Parts: sequence; C-alpha cells; structure tokens
Amino acid sequence: MDHILSLIIFFPLVAGIFGFLVNKDSIRVYGITVAALEFFLTLALWVSFDGNIAGFQFVEHVTVISHFGMSYHLGVDGISLFLVILSTFMTMVALIGLSIKKDAKNLIISVLYLEMTMVGVFLSLDVILFYLFWEFSLVPMLYIIGAWGSDKRIYAAIKFFLYTFAGSVLMLVGILYMGYLYHATTGVWSFSIPDWQLLVLPFNTQLWLFGAFFLAFAIKVPMFPFHTWLPYAHGQAPTIGSVILAAVLLKMGTYGMVRFLLPLFPDATIYFLMPIAIVAIIMVIYAAMVAYAQEDMKQVIAYSSISHMGIIILGTFAINAEGITGSIFLMISHGIVSGGLFMLVGCIYDRRHTKNMSEFGGLAISMPTFATIYGIMLMASVGLPLTIGFVGEFLSLIGFYKVSWIMTLIAGTGIILGAIYMLTLYKRSFFGEITNEKNRGLKDLNGRELVALVPLVALVVILGIYPKPILTPIDASVKKMIVLMEKKAVTQKAKDFIIKVNTIKGGE
Amino acid sequence: MITLTHYLVLSAILFSIGLVGVMKRKNLLMLFFSTEILLNAVNIGFAAVSHYYNDLSGQMFAFFIIAVAASEIAVGLGLLVLWYKKTGSVDLDSLQTMKG
Amino acid sequence: MEKYLYIALFAPIVGSLIAALFAQSPKNLFTGIFTSALIFVSFISSMILLNYVDMDKIVHVEMMDWISAGNLSVPFGFVVDQVSVIMMVTVTLVSTIVHIYSIGYMEHDESFNRFFSYLSAFVFSMMILVMSDNFIGLFIGWEGVGLCSWLLIGFWYKKHSASWAANEAFIMNRIGDLGMLMGIFLIYWNIGSFQYDVVFANIVNLDPSEVTWIGIFLFIGAMGKSAQFPLHTWLADAMEGPTPVSALIHAATMVTAGVYLIVRAGEIYILIPEVGMFIASLGAFVAVFAASMALVNKDLKRIIAYSTLSQLGYMFVAAGLGAYWIALFHLMTHAFFKSLLFLGAGNVMHAMDGNLDIKRMGGLYKAMRPTAILMSIASVALAGIYPLAGFFSKDKILEVAFNNGSYLLWGALFVGAGLTAFYSFRLVMLVFFGEKIYEKDGIHPHEAHPFVIYALTPLALLAIVAGFFEHSFHEFTTQLLSDYEFTLDHSVGAMLIFATSAMALSGIAYAVYKYKRGGFSENIENWGVYKLLSNQYYIPKLYEVAIMKPFTALSRFAWLNIDNKIVDASVDLIAKTIYGGGEKARKMQSGNLSSMLRWMVVGIVVLLALAIFYRPTV
Repeated sequence: MDHILSLIIFFPLVAGIFGFLVNKDSIRVYGITVAALEFFLTLALWVSFDGNIAGFQFVEHVTVISHFGMSYHLGVDGISLFLVILSTFMTMVALIGLSIKKDAKNLIISVLYLEMTMVGVFLSLDVILFYLFWEFSLVPMLYIIGAWGSDKRIYAAIKFFLYTFAGSVLMLVGILYMGYLYHATTGVWSFSIPDWQLLVLPFNTQLWLFGAFFLAFAIKVPMFPFHTWLPYAHGQAPTIGSVILAAVLLKMGTYGMVRFLLPLFPDATIYFLMPIAIVAIIMVIYAAMVAYAQEDMKQVIAYSSISHMGIIILGTFAINAEGITGSIFLMISHGIVSGGLFMLVGCIYDRRHTKNMSEFGGLAISMPTFATIYGIMLMASVGLPLTIGFVGEFLSLIGFYKVSWIMTLIAGTGIILGAIYMLTLYKRSFFGEITNEKNRGLKDLNGRELVALVPLVALVVILGIYPKPILTPIDASVKKMIVLMEKKAVTQKAKDFIIKVNTIKGGE
Repeated sequence: MITLTHYLVLSAILFSIGLVGVMKRKNLLMLFFSTEILLNAVNIGFAAVSHYYNDLSGQMFAFFIIAVAASEIAVGLGLLVLWYKKTGSVDLDSLQTMKG
Repeated sequence: MEKYLYIALFAPIVGSLIAALFAQSPKNLFTGIFTSALIFVSFISSMILLNYVDMDKIVHVEMMDWISAGNLSVPFGFVVDQVSVIMMVTVTLVSTIVHIYSIGYMEHDESFNRFFSYLSAFVFSMMILVMSDNFIGLFIGWEGVGLCSWLLIGFWYKKHSASWAANEAFIMNRIGDLGMLMGIFLIYWNIGSFQYDVVFANIVNLDPSEVTWIGIFLFIGAMGKSAQFPLHTWLADAMEGPTPVSALIHAATMVTAGVYLIVRAGEIYILIPEVGMFIASLGAFVAVFAASMALVNKDLKRIIAYSTLSQLGYMFVAAGLGAYWIALFHLMTHAFFKSLLFLGAGNVMHAMDGNLDIKRMGGLYKAMRPTAILMSIASVALAGIYPLAGFFSKDKILEVAFNNGSYLLWGALFVGAGLTAFYSFRLVMLVFFGEKIYEKDGIHPHEAHPFVIYALTPLALLAIVAGFFEHSFHEFTTQLLSDYEFTLDHSVGAMLIFATSAMALSGIAYAVYKYKRGGFSENIENWGVYKLLSNQYYIPKLYEVAIMKPFTALSRFAWLNIDNKIVDASVDLIAKTIYGGGEKARKMQSGNLSSMLRWMVVGIVVLLALAIFYRPTV
C-alpha cells in the first residue's frame, strides 16, 4: 500500500502506452479492463483509507529538484479521495458506454491518458506537479473534441484549449510568486501544499495571489462570464468527452478553490466572498434561464451544469463545514448525474443523429426504459430528496444561508428554474404522441448502454439514501481546514466571520 | 591633431552610408558592397578605440571581422553566381520565396 | 410496536417496486390486487398503532443516520403519535379504497401496472411525510408526493394537456418548497436541529421576529402543496390525471399536507398569532374564492377540485386561528366524503365515455342508482347537514371564527357554506336528475362493477358517521395538540349552528328548486360576473401573460443576445484581435530581403533608443 497513489496515477498511462500494441478489435475490452482495474485500485484506496484522520494519508515524497524545493509529493485526504474515485468510476462507465468505432484505439488511449492527468490533479500535493497535471489534462481533451467531435469541433477544441490555458498561465505566475514568497519568508524553497498552508501572508499579497489563482479556477469551473467555452465544447464533443468534461474536468476548478483559495488565502477569501457569491448567483439563475431557451438537448444539460456549479461555489464560499462538505458532495453527485445525462443524450444521438428537441416527442412510447432512466437522472438533477442530488444542494444552500439569507433565497430560485427547464425538456422529448415518424420503432437501450447506465442509477439512489460513508471523511477534512483558516487569518474581520458562520445561535 | 572623435565620426559616417546602401540598393552585388562598408566602418571603430585604450583585443577583433567578411563574400558571391545562372537576375525583388 | 410502524411505512413501497417490475408488461391483475393488499396491510398496521397510541403511548424509532455534516445531523426517524396516527389511518384507509376502486377504473388501460406502481409510491411518500419525526423527513415526503403527483397527473403522457398540467403542478409546488426550505434553514441556524421535539422545546427562546419568519416560510411551503392563493391554479389543471388520482392525491391526502404541516408546527404558530391570523384570512378568502369558481364551472371534476380548494381554505382558517384539532378533524372527514365524491364522479365519467361536461349529462339516476346515492351522501356531507360528517367539522370551524371575534372571517365562511351547498347540489341535480341530455350524444351509461361500489361503501359509511367521533377525536388529539378554548355561550353556539345549517339548507333548496325547473337561462353566460368566474378570475391567463411569456422571452433574450452577442462575442473579439494583429503583422514577412533589412534597421534603432533612454532604477 506504500505506493498505491503512484500506482493509481501511472497505471492508466502505462496501460495506455501498451494500448498501442493491442489489436484494434480488442482495444475496447482492453480499455474497459484497464479502467475497471484502475477503479478497483481506487476502491482499494478507499477501503484502506482511515476516515477518522483529517490530514493527508498515503503520502509519498521524493525530492526532485532539491535546490528549488520541487518534489514528487502525493497524498490523499477526505476532500480529494472521492473526486479520485469519481474520476476513475466515470472513466470506466464512459468507456463501457463508448459507441465510437472510428479510430477507437487512439480515442481510448487518449481517455486513459486523460484519466492519469485527472487523478494526478487530485492527488498532487506539490504545486508544480499539480500544475503539470492540470495543464496536461488539456491535451487529451483537445484531441478528443478536435478529432471525434461534430462539425465545428476544431473551433470548439481550440476555444476550450486556449481559454482554459490563458487562465492557468496566470495561475503559474501566482504559483511562482507564492514560491518566491515562501522562500523569502522561511529561507527554504518549497512548493508543497501542506507547507504553503502554514504560511501566513499579509493581506494585500493575499488579494493579488487570490486573484491569480481564482481566475484560473473560475475559467475552469466555468463561472459567469467565463463560461462560453463550455457550451461549445459540450456541443461539439463526442459523448465520452462530454461525460468526462462535465463529470470530472469542471470539478478541477472547484477542487482548486477548496484546496488553494480557502486555506492559503483566508482573508482574501472573505474579502472577495460577496462579489463571488453574487457572480455565483447570477450564474445559477442566468444559466438556468439560458438552459430553458435551448433547442438542443445537450446544450440544456451543458447550461444546467453551469447552474449547478454556481451552487457548488456558493457552498464552498459559505466557509462553514455544512456548506463546504455539501459543495464537495455536490461535486461528486453532479459528476454522476450530469455524466449520466450526457450519456443518455449520447444514446439518443446514436439512434437519431440529432440532439434537437423539436425532432423528438413521444420517446416514452418507443423507448420506455430509456425514458425511465432519464427520468430518474432528471429528478436527481433537480435535487429531489432521496436522490444524490438533494444532499449536496441542501447542504450547500443551508451553509450559505448563514452568510446571507436573502442571497440564499435568490439562489434557491435555481431549484425552481431547474425544475422548469428540466421538466420542459422531458415533456418536449418524451411526452406527447409520436409526431416524427423517425421516432417510431426506435430500439430501446441495449445491453452495453444498460451496463453503463444502471450503475449510475444505482449510485444515484444508494448515495441519496445513505450518503454517510462519503460525507464522514469529507467532513473530517473540511473541519480541519476551517480550523486552519481561522487560525491563520490575519484580519480580525475574517476570524470573526469564520467563527460566526460556524456557530448555531441558541438552542443546543 | 586627429583625435578618437574623428575616427569615430568617420566610422559613423561610413556606417550610415553602408546602412543606406543596405536599405536602398536592389542589386545583390551592391548589397555586398554595402555590407563590406558596414563591416569596415565597424573595423575602423574597433581599431581606433583599441588604440585609444592601448588594448590590442579590439584590433584583433578587426582582423577577425576581415576574415569573416572575406569568407562571407566568398560564400555569398558563389551563391550569387548560382542564382544568376538560375534566374538571370541579381535583383533583390526576385528573391521572394520566404513570403509569409 | 416498531414492527407495525415499519410494516405500515414500507408495505406500500414494496408493492410499488414489485409493480414497477411489471411496468412494461401488459396488464396484469396481480399488480392491482397485490398493491391493494399491501396497502390494506399498511392500513391494518396503522389501526393497530392507533389502538396502541390510544393507550397514551408513542412509538418513536430512529432507523439510521441520513445526512451528517458539520453540526448538522439528520436521521431517518419516525414517530407515531396522536397526530401522525390519525393521518396514517386516514391516508391508508382512503388509499386502500382508491386502490381497489382503481382495479375497476383502470381495467382497460394499457399501463395498468405502471399506475399501481405510482399510486403505491405515492402512499409511501405520504406515509413518510406524516410519520417523520423531523422537518427534513417531512420534506422528503413532501417532495416525494410532489414527484408522484407529477407522475400521476401526467400519467396519460400522450396527452399534451396532461403533461402540461403535471409540469405546472410540480413547478408551482417547487415555489412553495423553496419557501419551506428557507424555513427549515432558519430553524437549523437558530436551533441546530430538525427534530420536532427539540425544535418545539426551544422555539420559545427565539427572537419573535425569527419565529415569525419561520412561520411565514413554512406557510409558503404549505401554500404550494395545499394550492392556496396565489399558487392555486395547478389544482384545477391537475384534474387531467386519472380520477382515482384526483380522489386520493388532489382531494384526500396530498393537498392536505399543508394543513398537516401547520397543525404539526402548531407550537410554532401559537407563538405568532399575527401570522396565524394571516393564514386564517387567506384561508377564508380561498374558501369563498374557490367556491365562487365552482358555481359556474361545467367540468365535473373541476367543480369538485374547486370545492376541495374551498374546503382547504376552511381547514386553514381553523389551523390559523389555533384550533388545530378542528383543522385535523375537518381534514379527516373531508378526506372521506371528498374522495367518495371524486370516485363517484369517476363512475359517472366512465359511464359518459370520458365526457366531463355536466351540461351534457342529466337524469343518470335511473342508470346508476348506487353511484347517485353515494354521491348524494357525499354532497350532503360536504354541505354540512346534520348528522353527516361535514356538519360536525365545518360548523366547528365557523364557531372558531366567531369565537375568535373575527366576524369578517365568520361572514366569509358563512357565505362559503351557502355556496358550497349550492354548487354541490347543482352538480347532483345536473348529473343525476332532469332531462337526459346525454341521449343526444348517443351514450349508453352503465353502472360500475359491483366490487367498485362495495369498495366505496366504507367511505359512505364514514361520511355519515365520522362526525359522531368528534368527542373522542378531540380527547385523543389534544393529548398532543394544544386545545382550543371556546368562550362562546351555549346559546350563541346553538344559534350559530342553526344559522349555518339554515344557510346550507337554503343553498341546497335553491339549487334543487332552480334545477328542477331547468336551471338558469342561457343568457346568464353573457353576464360579466359569469365570465369572470368561468375564466377563473382570469388568473391563469394573467400568469401566462405576466409570467410565462416574459420568462420565455427573457430566457431567449438571455441566450441569443446576452450569451451569444455579448459574453461570447467579447471572448471571440479578443481572439479575433489577436488573430487580426497576426494577420496584419504577417505583411512584414514579405520575403523581400530589402524590406526585411529595413525592418532590421528599425529594430536596431528601437533597441538603441531603449539602451540609451531606459535606465531601470535598480
């Protein structure tokens, strides 16, 4: 178990390289096997993970460039554990559901490489390493969109790449400055996150660094008004690309916020809290409205992702255990639900070669199983209790309520608007008589699709009813982080705020 | 009395003449002449400053430049002849294959 | 006793899941019988629990932890006490009958199995709602019944209007749910728990303004679910669903959840009488408002739906004024006679080949005597005539209003009682008596299956006798709920009862008299008032024009203009500027040696200038 994290990161890469040697006909089986093994590795990680320890576990540390304090430093805690499992799980499910035949070998190898970078981002404790994986993740995605996408795929792929790349370059500047500051303060070079977390920074410096990091994360999330790359990327990407993009890649942004912004710059976080919350609320409502106006089924889900990411950001910036734990849980649940929804859209796209809702109607008659699974995913997406979607949304909103009740009320309209666009989508596509003859006699879900989708449905229900195994480790790490934030905040205002939002008035 | 300034002024004048030649002339042969003028302008500067500081490295550098210039002309003229044989012209504007 | 609690709670979901396995297979009588049997088991367990709770004992279990994060901890906890057991018995009893009824009603439907799966799932959600021991559990059930209501209203999903109505109901309910969530958040951050007992024990220590807000937010939730003005439009549209659904969900159980919430949270509302007064006033308003719409409607089911709305108003008056046990009592009796009325209407609808226009019926008494008798009983009970159930519960509400000194409310309810009697008998007269207009449409009415009629008899029986349990009901529920003090003189009380009964009787008499003679003349339909009422005060129209259309337009504007033309265009503008710059700069690379040399000279000059003039300070 000593090097399980390295194994988890590099197994897909090595397997991907060997993938070039595999016969074209057996590459699908090979890819699924590798992804499943990888998933079981992460499950093994979860089993041996001690949920009561709040700090990093399975830490690996090898100095690489000792002169500049750069090292190969890995570790996992409650915050990152489930994001890693989510990455490997969604990769596996997406590969099972893969229906592309053209150049499948290259696609699967790209996906495996992407899996390595995603897992690497969540497991890195060295910032340079983190940045490396962060940027590496763009490359396979660029290929996946650019090579297997629809008509405007080149435009979408380049927009995705350049947009997110521009943001992260600014983060690199921030990283280097932060490293310089660490050296200036302590006299030694270090790029390790646990070291950085102990560094107390003056208020003004925090503001600048916060800005540099925040922009990179905001583009990745994507926050309004940096969100326009997402609909293009989703609209053009093949199903497997959309699934991984929505399920995992977007979470890298919010993960970065929790991992970097909050513990490194507590005062700046609280200083910028209100503007960010306002943007997040705009995001929730605006994206929900835009989603309602869409004609294309996939775009509705793309915009709904933006709307849900707004709730995640609100939960993160609630700065209390309820909100942050909720937001991390919501990252996982949104990963499963939006991934599932994108796969479902892929199923109908494979059959009808269109995603336009006006082409559908009455699908519930021709494809009842499809309609049922879609309905369950949809209900999870609108946050119905006892589905996975409710827990995170509820916790995020309850957390933010302590910060501002009126803003929570406004953000809460997201649950109404969510119901509006999702139910409208469902009604337009599934209900009514079959008006378009092409929809008659469509085949219902086949075995491959069911194997991919049923686990998602099962998770949606099981984790909706019993989310505790996931919440407990997250909660432990989040509580530790909040204590740290409170301790290292330099302004009294921030200290008071953190204490205020974490206490319950009166009663028990 | 001829001072360092005079040498440097001469060097500057020659350099300017060379520069104008480089910019204005379209004939490749003329371009080589202009380049020679430029190089020799710098040589004068080197030699004068070297004498002024009593440091021989400047003059050594001038020799270096002369050697380099000679080899440059040798290679350059060879190319020029080849180009002339191929196209029948030594006009600069005929060399446009690198247009971006 | 915990065993019975679990049986009562989980029997319906077992039935639902098993029926769901057959959802895509052709009609299977087994699913109908199986789910009905399981609901009946749940009913028996509820009765056993009722008996147990009657011995002053409460069953309280904590099944498992659900959510815990930070200081927050929500278990799946269930409690059977005097209030919840009453609801359990009512819900399971009506559900059992509706299930059995549906076996007959849905016999020709291709999605027979799916229907029973949904219906049982609804019962499960409703049981969670009433049995939960905390607000979050209540919210689970709250959303769960909303989901099942969506599924069941839109059951005939091929019909555009049905799926539209289902979406409307879900979205309207969501508006209320948001309010309720806000109330729950407020409770959490002030008390730190969602458990009823903890919340009620600590609520007195809170700042009155906080309590007021909690009360308001929770009531917004209740407004959505119980279809109070202005969130009422979905209820009438929900009649698109199959009739058993209307009987069970949109009359007897789900819509009364709002009343249940107010009753359950009575210890909060007792601290904030001003909010209670608002609830009561809104209730009284809705009581008259809805009754007035029922006066002119021609749709059999919509009339009953408006009647439900109106009766919910009565319940809210009682609950708002602090007479919680009376609200609960009316909730129970109403469940009996209203579901009976609806199920009878279902028989009529079947007999009429799905036609719902009461003006096209008439004289059905001959053809379907049992149904006519059952519906008449229900109507008399609804009108509040002694000795039927409605008399006891409804008169009590009027008494409460009078006792409270709210004469305006009393007046409204008094008028409402007259209207109720009138529209109920307008319906009965137009459907069962008078000229047989349906013959013109070539319809041959037939009575429902005998087992359907037998299934309805318990409801009829209860509609008749439930009122006599008033005293034991009072004693039973006030062990938990705060009692309501009547300060009225007995003589005044008797006067009130007399006046109300007279009002109801005259309403009935007028209806009978008028419709015996062929009803009102046709030109009444041209009156402004008639148009106003039959168009539901133009409120649905207003919502469409003032909310839906602007929202759609705004959404499209946000997408086409803001998102595409401003946000995305500015991103593309940056990219285009860079591209354009490159395009222009490309001209420098003309490939011409002499122009390159010129650029080189420019570069040298610039660098020289920099070297000479730029002196960094460090």
